Amino acid sequence: MPNEAVPKSAKASASPQTSHITRYAVPYFPGCALKDQAVGFERSARAALLRLGWELKELPRWNCCGTVYSLSTDDLMRHVAPVRNFIRVQEMGEERFVALCAMCYNTLKRSARFVAADLGRLSRINAFMDEEPDYRGGVEVLHLLQFLRDEIGFEEIESRVEKPLYGLKVAPYYGCMLLRPREVGIDHPDAPETMELLFEHLGAEAVNSPHKVECCGAYQTVANPGVVRERVREIVGAVARRDADLIVTSCPLCTYNLERHQLSITGEEKTRHGIPILYFTQLLGFALGVPEGELGLGGAAIDPRPALSQLVGG
Amino acid sequence: MGQEIMERIREANEAVITGIDDADIAHWVSIYIMGKAYRVPADITLMQAIEYAGYRFVRGAGCRAGFCGACATVYRVAGDWRLKAALACQTRVEDGMYLVQIPFAPAEKPSYRIEEEAPAGTTLLKHFPEIARCVACNTCTKACPQELEVMDYIQAALRGDLKGVAELSFDCIQCGLCSIRCPAEIVHYHVAQFARRLYGRSLPVPGHVVERVEEIESGVYAEEFERLMSLSREEIEELYKKEQREKGGLKSDDASRVTRNGQGEG
Amino acid sequence: MAEELKLVRGYPEYMLESIERVHAARAKRIEEGPPPAMSMEEREEVLRFHPDHAPGGKRPLKVGPNKGDIAPNEVADLLEAYPLVDPAELDLTVDIDAEVLILGGGLAGTTAALWANEEGIPPDRILLATKLRHGDSNSIMAQGGTQAADKPYDSPVIHFLDAYGGGHFTNKTDVLRALVEDAPFIMKWLTELGCLFDRDENGEFVEDWGGGTSRPRMHAARDYTGMEELRVIRDEFRNRGFMLLEFYPAVELLTSPEGRVNGAILWNMEIGEYKVVRAKAVVLATGGFGRLHIRGFPTTNHYGATADGLVLAYRAGAVFRDLDTVQYHPTGAAYPQQIVGLLITEKVRGLGAHVVNREGECFVYPLEPRDVEAAAIIRECYERELGVVTPTGMHGVWLDSPMIEEIHGEGTIERRLPAMFRMYKRFGIDMRKDPILVFPTLHYQNGGVETDPWGRTNVEGLFVAGEVSGGVHGKNRLMGNSTLDCLVFGRRAGVAAARYVKELPDQGPLTLGHVEKFVEELRTAGVPEGRRSPILLPDYRGKRVLARMIDLL
Repeated sequence: MPNEAVPKSAKASASPQTSHITRYAVPYFPGCALKDQAVGFERSARAALLRLGWELKELPRWNCCGTVYSLSTDDLMRHVAPVRNFIRVQEMGEERFVALCAMCYNTLKRSARFVAADLGRLSRINAFMDEEPDYRGGVEVLHLLQFLRDEIGFEEIESRVEKPLYGLKVAPYYGCMLLRPREVGIDHPDAPETMELLFEHLGAEAVNSPHKVECCGAYQTVANPGVVRERVREIVGAVARRDADLIVTSCPLCTYNLERHQLSITGEEKTRHGIPILYFTQLLGFALGVPEGELGLGGAAIDPRPALSQLVGG
Repeated sequence: MGQEIMERIREANEAVITGIDDADIAHWVSIYIMGKAYRVPADITLMQAIEYAGYRFVRGAGCRAGFCGACATVYRVAGDWRLKAALACQTRVEDGMYLVQIPFAPAEKPSYRIEEEAPAGTTLLKHFPEIARCVACNTCTKACPQELEVMDYIQAALRGDLKGVAELSFDCIQCGLCSIRCPAEIVHYHVAQFARRLYGRSLPVPGHVVERVEEIESGVYAEEFERLMSLSREEIEELYKKEQREKGGLKSDDASRVTRNGQGEG
Repeated sequence: MAEELKLVRGYPEYMLESIERVHAARAKRIEEGPPPAMSMEEREEVLRFHPDHAPGGKRPLKVGPNKGDIAPNEVADLLEAYPLVDPAELDLTVDIDAEVLILGGGLAGTTAALWANEEGIPPDRILLATKLRHGDSNSIMAQGGTQAADKPYDSPVIHFLDAYGGGHFTNKTDVLRALVEDAPFIMKWLTELGCLFDRDENGEFVEDWGGGTSRPRMHAARDYTGMEELRVIRDEFRNRGFMLLEFYPAVELLTSPEGRVNGAILWNMEIGEYKVVRAKAVVLATGGFGRLHIRGFPTTNHYGATADGLVLAYRAGAVFRDLDTVQYHPTGAAYPQQIVGLLITEKVRGLGAHVVNREGECFVYPLEPRDVEAAAIIRECYERELGVVTPTGMHGVWLDSPMIEEIHGEGTIERRLPAMFRMYKRFGIDMRKDPILVFPTLHYQNGGVETDPWGRTNVEGLFVAGEVSGGVHGKNRLMGNSTLDCLVFGRRAGVAAARYVKELPDQGPLTLGHVEKFVEELRTAGVPEGRRSPILLPDYRGKRVLARMIDLL
């Protein structure tokens, strides 16, 4: 099912003075990495959303999504973990939630579709989890980028920008999980535009590159790091040649790979100082005026602060 | 007088210690120990019933009070398909119980030098990579005779929340039933033990303890002890009575409020 | 247990009247407070009801180093008994050689191993042998806490005074001084190993009152204190690579011709095979004797508490002290029948609960030293007849546990006494809402093998630590000093054993000569041949089945 790449218009914008009052809330699934290795991703997301008048309500007693999505079709066990999270959403009295980590988003969304496609599967999983209320089906799994684009709207976001990113050249890196398979992608699988549009509404210049939708190598980093190094060389090389100041991702594993293997590239292909990797919520938060301390920038392996501080008035 | 009271006490406890007299039993139940039927008095514990049936524990009995996990038992009750887990010393017999004890769980514990391990989530994954296999099936929680949220503490371990693991796993008696049942073959109680130690080490030794240790080592109390040892029995008794009476001016509710294992309530 | 009883909130209907009286009188009791603590004279008066003072329970020993001294009958029966093994039938070829052999795997034994290692003995030269699993012990059930004088309002001298007075001024003063002076260091050591003791909002230890203490200094980890301490040091033990033999109780010590202890015979309880262990030093940490059910009392002790170590040490010539006193914990569970005798920690009273008779009156100051408190409860039940009688004929008094919620706030019991709350819940009783029934239960061996402040005994090569030792507590132990005893003297014995073996060139040949000599003494004293010891395990098998048992394999 093709996804809309056109941003919808936003809700009526609030005046800047009231932007810290949260009039709205949406359930939120953090995922394991955001509590440990990628705390900056969560922190910046919370702070940025607050500026937009939204509160992220963490699911109580959520469990690991079980990434990656299981490809064996007779393995119902691997869908227990995602479904348990859907039950938590319904226990909150809600029918949708957002995820930040692209891998969590992908796994959870595909599981939701898997149990929706065959009620027999759902009833067997419910029967197994006899200590939980039944999952009634129907919970909508959203990625925060989708939410920002379709629910809040980029124009609304633009109206709340306090530190426009004029002069900043930002390269989006989508990787795999946001876009593939097609049924769960939040954008066009070969030519997505969501992040570019977001950057432009924040005042930055989006740097397009041909490798922005290619895999970083993911877990090959553990057993086969050479493979990842090659991928990173291509991906980062392409944006370096286009003078990007920053690369933006939505995945802790992509971030890990792009940071670590960039630093191990030597010789003439090595970018001079290393291109910093930011989560999209950190860039968003920065533009919305969130203080640096709440963006979790200190956790990055390649410091993004020099690039951000060179902005006009920044 | 004293002897008569002792006799009465001995008589009152006879049933518990030397075994119940069959003549006194009004109600019986049938239990099946590893498939073999035994008629035992109703209303005793599984442990007492197994002994009544004639077994003398070598494995399968420890503290007999619910603290050591030696008597972990799994059972079904006739007509109920559910598999249940319990401690034999803390569970009453039910008519139609089919049971077996599991006195040992094969569960490798990695060796570590705790002083070299960082109190971080990645440390747990380093030594126990299998926790990433958790599928959130909750079988461990259902197997726990202490009714702990075992899956929840493994999830906390996965995201590096050592404090969460410590709080949720604290009452674990390491019986091993969770690990035996786990489809992902996680060894929950070893993970939890490691996490609790890491968390405990991340809390500083309270200043008052450090100070007192230094005082003692530097001999601050030596003189007072010498003086005490030179007193007569009557003088010591007077000192003792004074302290018991005055209690240093402290009152009986002078004890701080505490939350589980760590930071207190505000 | 005879008729089908109707239970309300876990209790038989007929007990409800008394329970209601407990509830009704609570507000007034809280306002007025309990009766004042007894004077020394009043203590002496009530102690007449202590089981130790009733005639018929003890007798002078006929043989051995303490010949003529008084010991409980059940203990004397084991000391005046023949060995399980026949020295003539054993082959004493060495199976395992160690520098230090530790007998017993509770807090004391495990601590001894760690500190012998700290003092320089490599872990693969230290063997810890246990009767059941490593950790199966009384230690693991210790609930209320460990004493240590580490707060500004307290001092080791005051701790000393409390324990000395509680022990009726009979404690061995140099050993007691070592106990109280080492205590803060032990707390620091355990915390650095990762033990999680209860802390307040400032990160300082929460310390409670105990029976007979003049300052609150009880360190606790919820009511799983012993378990938390033991599982942390056991984890550390497992990391270091010691030799460990489980289900291998010692059935005799071995000695050189000069009488130096230099090993033990270990017996595999599961298959019946014996192992001969040679060591340069032996640390005895075998715990207590509750499963002997002295005077027919139920017990708080674990399955293996059968005084094995006392028997072995006595045959090797070790001198005992204070065996004429036995500690009955004032509050063992009295109802329901399934948990009779199990420990109801003193912490319940430390948190404020009153001890209340059938009429709802608090009849004694709740935090007297244990012997006084136990005697007071026995007097209330059996002389004043103001106890509650259970369906099985046990007498008991109430511990007003709901008071704890009232004094400290809702949720206190679940937070500070989760083990106890859980236990009662399993049997249908909510101790937050209803009082619990208690009666004294056999708990602790006050006396034992006499030691110096380093765990050394009068027998060369034999070191002792923990409950099996005597002297540090005198004739009555205070709450929280037993786990402390195990940790302090486990460490000291381990260190002393390590230093001893480093100096010792040769432990001499292994013999059972001391056993043969002891057997001679038994025969001369006319002890009947049928009695054997150590008994290793109690026997609770059904009488009817036992009557039809024959060993055919």
